[in-house]
Amino acid sequence: MSWLADAAVLFRREALRYRRDRAYWIGQIVFPLAVVGIIGFGLNDVITLPTGAEYVGHLATGMLVLVVGSGAVGGGFSLIEDRETGFLRALLVAPVSRAGIVLGKLAARLLASLVLVAVLVLLLSLFTPLRVESLGAVLVSVTGVTAVFVALGVSLASRLRRLESFRLFAALVTVPLYLFSGILYPVSTLPAPMRALAYANPLSYGVDLFRYGFLGVHELPLAVSSAALCGLSVLATGLAVVVFDRSARG
Amino acid sequence: MSSDTAAIEVRGLVKRFGRVEALRGLDLRVPQGVCFGMLGPNGAGKTTSVGILTTLLRPDAGEARLLGRDVVADRSRVRRDVGVVFQESTLDPELTPREHLDLYGRLYRLPERRRRVDAMLDLVGLGDRADECVRGLSGGLKRRLEIARGLLHAPRVLFLDEPTLGLDVAARAAVWRHLRALRDAGDTTLFLTTHSMEEADSLCEEIAIIDGGRRVAGGAPEALKAALGGDVVRLWLERAEGAGERLRQAEGVRAVAVDAGEGGCELRVTVADGPRRLVQLIEAARPFGVREVAMQRPTLEHVFLHHTGHAFEPEAEAR
Repeated sequence: MSWLADAAVLFRREALRYRRDRAYWIGQIVFPLAVVGIIGFGLNDVITLPTGAEYVGHLATGMLVLVVGSGAVGGGFSLIEDRETGFLRALLVAPVSRAGIVLGKLAARLLASLVLVAVLVLLLSLFTPLRVESLGAVLVSVTGVTAVFVALGVSLASRLRRLESFRLFAALVTVPLYLFSGILYPVSTLPAPMRALAYANPLSYGVDLFRYGFLGVHELPLAVSSAALCGLSVLATGLAVVVFDRSARG
Repeated sequence: MSSDTAAIEVRGLVKRFGRVEALRGLDLRVPQGVCFGMLGPNGAGKTTSVGILTTLLRPDAGEARLLGRDVVADRSRVRRDVGVVFQESTLDPELTPREHLDLYGRLYRLPERRRRVDAMLDLVGLGDRADECVRGLSGGLKRRLEIARGLLHAPRVLFLDEPTLGLDVAARAAVWRHLRALRDAGDTTLFLTTHSMEEADSLCEEIAIIDGGRRVAGGAPEALKAALGGDVVRLWLERAEGAGERLRQAEGVRAVAVDAGEGGCELRVTVADGPRRLVQLIEAARPFGVREVAMQRPTLEHVFLHHTGHAFEPEAEAR
């Protein structure tokens, strides 16, 4: 189980970095508050949702998914940074398991996601109907979405050498995922072909679980969402470890 | 493992990057406990060799063993035995020196980690800057932290890839001082790559000169220089007649070239152990009216030129 011990050591390092990254925290907290405060209240009385929830709450949960997801893709971004500073090279010469490196990043990002969600929910609950309705659903959804997006980021970062390419590809992959996941509008009211796309999108299940966790409403069967998200997290993380391991061989 | 197992044994190593052949059948043998220098111009294959020996790169052909273990098949074990100080920085600018060493101490599962980290910080003189972010440290201090990181787990073989590249004179002297202390302690085999002749000459007990991905010569720096025939003493004399014959009979003289001109001549005397015989040569030349004397000791630059037939890249030296 040396990979687990390696992951724990690298988790410490990533956590230290996150703690010091003030820009990350300010950006990730101010952005969703601004979107929900301005757009959410602007549209709240215009849009009626089939779930019966207020639109501002719907948008707030969507923004939570967005910050958790985009933050997690940043886990891959940090791998490119590690390569550029040379840090990764020294790490690869040490007797460290490659899985440990990926899992250390994942674990630290998960902690950052949970702290971020806790702070945001506390602030959002002051002016939106957001509450923790189901802690289980919150934990599963935050963990699942973080894992999938860290894995995506790590896989991209393992294949791409340049920062610019990473940004471009990450946007290319994540923007459609967000658009067809119901973060802005409910999936069930979409026209049939778009709805099919949304159901094929793993993020939709994460979004639905977020919504159940914070608003108590959902559009998809909870068991299906949980199973889909958990299965995908494990699969994506495994794949990321393999892709990273390959890229680390000269 | 017996002590006559070589620290490094390389046979016929080949590495290609696309169409470029970085190593073309490299052979090396480095005994344990020495300070070994790999000397060559930029692009000779030094960094590639270190990459393969430290398990970061896989060779396309040939074999490399570290303390008897294959660097590809047995790479996990090899990683425990090597420390590396890379040419470029490998530090996380957001972490402090102490955090760096602590991290690696944990990864290597070192016993008494804290004490060891403190000792390393003191050894490289970073004790009072240990808790500042690396971002704010000077190039020399960063390099010392890299060396501390490479040494932290007491590796049996420490690789240093161009350890003083880009450092100012004072920082370079500090790094050399550390390396000399390490070399004289004798527990660690040092493998140094450098394109600085001076560095190879002043630090290494044994060197290999590589050029174009192959080893072209090797041995102790003194022996390599001595093999060129000795020192060259140049004498400018007032009269040429008989001077050549007279000096050829002097002790230790191997060759004399006479270049006679109007109103005098220049003699180029190749002699073993020049500094000791200089006085005696001047005495022998005195009857011919000595005007000027100069002595040149062969440098590794001459050795390189002798073995490769071309000069060391001047632009690389100037950088």
